[in-house]
Amino acid sequence: MSRRYDSRTTIFSPEGRLYQIEYAMEAISHAGTVLGVLAKDGVVLAAEKKVTGKLLDLSGAKEGGYGGSGEKIFLLNSNVIGGVAGLTADANSLINYARSAAQQHLLQYNEDIPVELLAQRLCDMKQGYTQYGGLRPFGVSLLYAGFDQQHQFQLYHSDPSGNYSGWKATCIGANNGTAQSLLKQEYKDDIEVKAAISLVLKTMSKTMDSTTLGSEKLEFAVITLDPETNLPKAKIYKPDEIDELLQAEGLSKKEDDNAMKS
Amino acid sequence: METSFALTGKGYVIVASDTTAARSIVKMKTDEDKIKVVSPHLLMSYSGEPGDTIQFAEYVERNLRLFHIRNNYSLRPSAAASWIRRSLAQSLRSRKPYSVNLMLGGYDVTIDSPHLYWIDYLGTMTEVPFGAHGYGSYFALSLLDRYHDPEATLQEGLATLKRCIDEVAKRLVVSPGKYKVKVVDKDGAREIEL
Amino acid sequence: MSRSYDRALTVFSPDGHLFQVEYALEAVRKGTCAVGVRGKDVVVLGVEKKSVLQLQDPRTVRKVAMLDDHICLAFAGLTADGRVLIDKARIECQSHRLTVEDPVTVEYITRHIAGIQQRYTQSGGVRPFGISTLIVGFDPNDTKPYLYMTEPSGIYSAWKANAIGRSSKTVREFLEKNHKDDLSREESIKLAVKSLLEVVQTGAKNIEISVMESYGKITNLDLAQIEAIVSEIEKEKEAEAERKRSRLAATAAGQASMTSRAAEGTSGQ
Repeated sequence: MSRRYDSRTTIFSPEGRLYQIEYAMEAISHAGTVLGVLAKDGVVLAAEKKVTGKLLDLSGAKEGGYGGSGEKIFLLNSNVIGGVAGLTADANSLINYARSAAQQHLLQYNEDIPVELLAQRLCDMKQGYTQYGGLRPFGVSLLYAGFDQQHQFQLYHSDPSGNYSGWKATCIGANNGTAQSLLKQEYKDDIEVKAAISLVLKTMSKTMDSTTLGSEKLEFAVITLDPETNLPKAKIYKPDEIDELLQAEGLSKKEDDNAMKS
Repeated sequence: METSFALTGKGYVIVASDTTAARSIVKMKTDEDKIKVVSPHLLMSYSGEPGDTIQFAEYVERNLRLFHIRNNYSLRPSAAASWIRRSLAQSLRSRKPYSVNLMLGGYDVTIDSPHLYWIDYLGTMTEVPFGAHGYGSYFALSLLDRYHDPEATLQEGLATLKRCIDEVAKRLVVSPGKYKVKVVDKDGAREIEL
Repeated sequence: MSRSYDRALTVFSPDGHLFQVEYALEAVRKGTCAVGVRGKDVVVLGVEKKSVLQLQDPRTVRKVAMLDDHICLAFAGLTADGRVLIDKARIECQSHRLTVEDPVTVEYITRHIAGIQQRYTQSGGVRPFGISTLIVGFDPNDTKPYLYMTEPSGIYSAWKANAIGRSSKTVREFLEKNHKDDLSREESIKLAVKSLLEVVQTGAKNIEISVMESYGKITNLDLAQIEAIVSEIEKEKEAEAERKRSRLAATAAGQASMTSRAAEGTSGQ
């Protein structure tokens, strides 16, 4: 009897709740953390990868490339990168949808899709899955980091219910509460990309379950303006670039060990 | 004969169109407004098949307004022009295509610059510093080529426009009598008495 | 199968209920509160807004939406549902202008929205919209303000003042007690704020007020303006309480003197 209102998605419980959405959000709160920080001149995204097994062959994904390694951070359009937390399979289909929505906009208006519009398109789809027959909601939250002429750099978050909101800095997935309060303390309104990168890495290192940070557990991306063309430029870091960055920030494994000893 | 001109200048676009509504060889009226303010910083002049013109212009106007209400800002001129061109191109490949020629003058508030687009009923679109549609274009384009200055003030721009209108009045067999002139700049769109 | 009356929406329960619709109303009752007040030639929408978190972009958390130049909507319930319904309404507003050249009337768009909501209670495989809406505006070429409400069931109705969402019952009772016909602009705004204060404990920073004064003329009050109204109301309340206290004190003193006199009387006997 207790399962009366949560076995199918599209119905209200007597208290007016939609349990499936709440459960989907619950699932996300256990997923790998994704963290975003909006700076004056760019947006920074970082994500925690869950390594599923020692024998997992990552050689194919090793090079990273423009589209990312395909697990947590994706290029949605030339001006937007997305970070996902939740069910990977659901995320893949949402990413696919986002990319084609962005291309549709490009075809119609001959300009890159505004970031908020892209978030809205995905949210409309997500909302539909909570209202129409026999479907379950998407078990995915996303962070969108991007740039457009109207609102410059932006960071959005969308959840399985189809809500979205804009943020200066936010976090989804496991331990997001800790990360949020850390961000709240550390964030400054006129932060620049360089400082934002350190803030993101520092916060990630404090919130991730594992004690050491390394490219095998971390994905990282930054979107800035190309100083030459003045167009948005998304950079999704390759594994060795991430290690380099961690080294520079003093957060890589070795130094971490030293810090532990001292 | 239907005629419309448009030219850009320093921080503005002027769009001018004749005001004659004719059927066959008969002038039906001479105060028809053929330039629509389709969004706060965007002017669209239209000519072609009567009926088609108004139908299409209203369709454009409502869709741009919908975008504005949804997003709380207007489409930029470049994006609006692309969308309009696409609508025309789609219509061309339908059973009953719109037969409309357009000129789209807009001011892009995000990058502070004026833009002018020339679009014909086949879905051709080019961004131009000045342009013309109709029989008047045969006389005006060479004039504009000679006198157009992208750095001209509004006064100078209007003087150039006056040259075109005068030339058409002088040379065209059936020249339109009256013109409506509208300008769009950073403060929005407005009508100007020549 | 007796338990499936509240699953398939198109089915009545034996005692004539459409459970899903009733449950959707519960979702509305969980939503933030919104009030509408109609004055003489002004109509005011007030909404309780959740505190904008420190790192959140306030631009993206707005509860009052414009449907067209002359119509505004506030909703209570599931935000995502609200967004989708608002979008449908906006399309209808422009589509109506395109087909008949005139802007929609407030009643027309209300009926349209309610119609959509009704469809979602009857067609197969969908749940109802978990939102109630307040719709305010002016008809073209008219100076009379309108206020309508729609519900998940698809019912719509016109009001002088009403509230939806969390604790809407309390607010409605307050409005019933305090609303008068032909309120001025200031009185209408004050009544809206005052009624919201019945449920919003945190004061001005969690209140959003939109005022529509005539066709297409909409102003959103900023925080300072709302704060001014709130402090004015608080002062009035204090004065009222003060008066009550002094009156109570006076009656108490009166009673005391009566009893003492009576006591004197008895002692004198």
